[in-house]
Amino acid sequence: MSTLGSRLLRTTIIGKDTPIHKLDPRTKFLYFFWISLLGYIFYDFVLTFIFLVVNLLLAVVGKVVRRILLTILVIIVPWIAIAAPILSLPLGFPWNETIIYRINLFGMELPVYQEGLGWAITWPLRIAVTISAALLFMLTTKLGEIIALFFKLRLPFRALYMIAAALQFIPLLADEVGTIYQAQLSRGLKTKASIVRRVFNFLALGIPLTLSAISKVQIRAIALESRGFSAPVEKTLMYELRFKSVDYVFFAAIIFFTGVLAYIYITMGYSPIVRLRYLFG
Amino acid sequence: MAQRKVVPTGAKILAVVMVPMVAALNYVGGVLVELTKAPIWGDTWATILGTLISGFWVGAVGGFLYNIIMALTVWGLPAWVWGTANVLIAIITWFFIKMGWTDLKKPITIVMAVIFYGLLYPIYTTGLSIALFGGGPLWKPIPAAIYAATLASTGNFWLANYVQAISTEIPDKVISFVIALIIASRVPRRFVLGMRREEEVVAGGS
Amino acid sequence: MGEDSVVIRFENFSYSYPDTPNVLVDINLKVEKGEALGIIGPNGAGKSTLCKAMNGLVPHFYGGYINGRVIVAGMDTLEHTVAELSTKVGLVFQEPENQLSGLALTVEEEVGFGLAMLGYPREEIKDRVREALEKVGLSGLEERSPFELSGGQQQRLAIATVLAMKPEIIVLDEPVSLLDPIGKREVFEAVKELKKTGSTLVIAEHEIEELAYIADRVIALNEGRIVMEGEVDQVLADVEGLRKITVEAPSVAQLTHILRERAGLEVNHYPIRLEEAVKLYEEVLRK
Repeated sequence: MSTLGSRLLRTTIIGKDTPIHKLDPRTKFLYFFWISLLGYIFYDFVLTFIFLVVNLLLAVVGKVVRRILLTILVIIVPWIAIAAPILSLPLGFPWNETIIYRINLFGMELPVYQEGLGWAITWPLRIAVTISAALLFMLTTKLGEIIALFFKLRLPFRALYMIAAALQFIPLLADEVGTIYQAQLSRGLKTKASIVRRVFNFLALGIPLTLSAISKVQIRAIALESRGFSAPVEKTLMYELRFKSVDYVFFAAIIFFTGVLAYIYITMGYSPIVRLRYLFG
Repeated sequence: MAQRKVVPTGAKILAVVMVPMVAALNYVGGVLVELTKAPIWGDTWATILGTLISGFWVGAVGGFLYNIIMALTVWGLPAWVWGTANVLIAIITWFFIKMGWTDLKKPITIVMAVIFYGLLYPIYTTGLSIALFGGGPLWKPIPAAIYAATLASTGNFWLANYVQAISTEIPDKVISFVIALIIASRVPRRFVLGMRREEEVVAGGS
Repeated sequence: MGEDSVVIRFENFSYSYPDTPNVLVDINLKVEKGEALGIIGPNGAGKSTLCKAMNGLVPHFYGGYINGRVIVAGMDTLEHTVAELSTKVGLVFQEPENQLSGLALTVEEEVGFGLAMLGYPREEIKDRVREALEKVGLSGLEERSPFELSGGQQQRLAIATVLAMKPEIIVLDEPVSLLDPIGKREVFEAVKELKKTGSTLVIAEHEIEELAYIADRVIALNEGRIVMEGEVDQVLADVEGLRKITVEAPSVAQLTHILRERAGLEVNHYPIRLEEAVKLYEEVLRK
């Protein structure tokens, strides 16, 4: 997952010119926050699935849907595949009581429960909503915009630096790992080995990586200090942010659907379709 | 003119740069695991390492930041809460330094690592994983089987999740801790000194 | 020359890192405005520390123990922070990649970083960035990522980041030691351009042949002490003196020295640059 992550970080730099890319990062961040929150407020696989579809549609507009779909499938499908059979059968989930189906397994007739099955489908969907929302934001927003966003959100400058530097160190270190790995391979590192050997292999890569990382930290700190990083003044931001009309359209939509969903919540509760009683205690 | 002692200002900015480095090391830990097939997740070793060589705050904030980055890039918003688990790892590591349980030659180090990282820490993460991800079986066959077996024999959802968690956390955290201790012992002293002068580091027992 | 033309003054300056004593001992040194000072010496002689003492990193960043004082552009480095000194002294380091801020995404932002840290208005930053990039020959690369540049370009970028601050003194700490030959040439060309515009330069360097073209005056450090000091033609021609501190003189000076020792060549002064050597040997051959 981390290699995927570092690949994602690398590609975020490449800007495309879609309506989603053109949105102000503040708008996109608000949406990311809003939809992730909705995913957690409602416990309902139909509604949650709709949230996911909305995310994916926006991803289609932003031309990043392939990557997001792939990530979700890798995480969600095996999860549902393992969780659903265990949770929906009699002993897999303590709150099982509503039988919705009976299946025949090895000559035994087993009941399938709504509670366990609902849990095993809704939770992965919830996570899919939050993951797709995060990816939609990261894949369509340039690092400079993210820095500008946090700057506007009045994040302390040190914290802002830490986030930006981490995003920048990751691909740098990932490259370094590649180099160290090649070097160690040529010095006889064996990848097919016992568990203990594999821990030593981790050290063989981890030690040079750490030493190089620490020396980078030293040099970077000295460079920053020499360039006035610690000066106790308000920093200037090189990046300008401005709301455009498309941002206002987006805000309007968010407000409208917040209203609609609030109505659903009040009239039907947070689990409008499944209504699992155990969650009420 | 008399000799004057100057108080360094560098430690502060070193910490500011070390924090994102800890986060990045945690992140590429996943790449290391992929390459070496080491039996860990690879996402907390740098938190432990950062605490060992740069002190509690760097380890804790770096570990927390790692989860923020993960939440923003891959895992989705709620995952930031895992950052608190990484802070807990830094707290445990800091406690180990205080207690002197950082000498790999002493059996107590491993015993305490199993107890603190392996048994106590998962109490917190089990709660988190149920609240955030609904709990239930992990999407790996062996822990999932352990979950199913525990639930079948006890009928206790929480216990099943906890037993499943310790089955992965004991090897992961204890091995990560040992790895971090070994790496910390290889870091030249001047780097360690440069970052935390106020407390002596006892990493690696050397 | 008057005292007001002195921009760097070390007075009986000694310094010890918290864990390494006597890295610099009894340094007395003056650098005049518009002068180019070369610093040579073996590894571990204290060249880097001396450079860092000029912008306050020594002693502030590392802490430690000092004697005497350093006055840069009229400011006692002990009494001012590194940030305050950053508009007076610009320091360029060895490593091209790691001295980048890490926060800037484009060449333009990188050059403007220092000014942004000091809170300069955006318009002024843009103007100064343009000017600085022109001076090092990187105009047209404003929108590129600093990490996409070659080593030589990155090092020139580092020089531009310093120029944008309009410092009174530019200190270069072995700026080419990690570059390939093309990168080295690019950086030296940029440094020579700076010299032409009358900037005050301090350059610690192993590439002694190049230093012969850049420096007006040279000091040699050994074990933290200044052991040689003088005009560039005098210090770099002192083949024996340099050898004592394991520094190789320019090869034309060495050649002339050997010819004098072994073949009785009659010269009163050793050349340190190729052109001078050519001229000298033309005369010798004509005789």
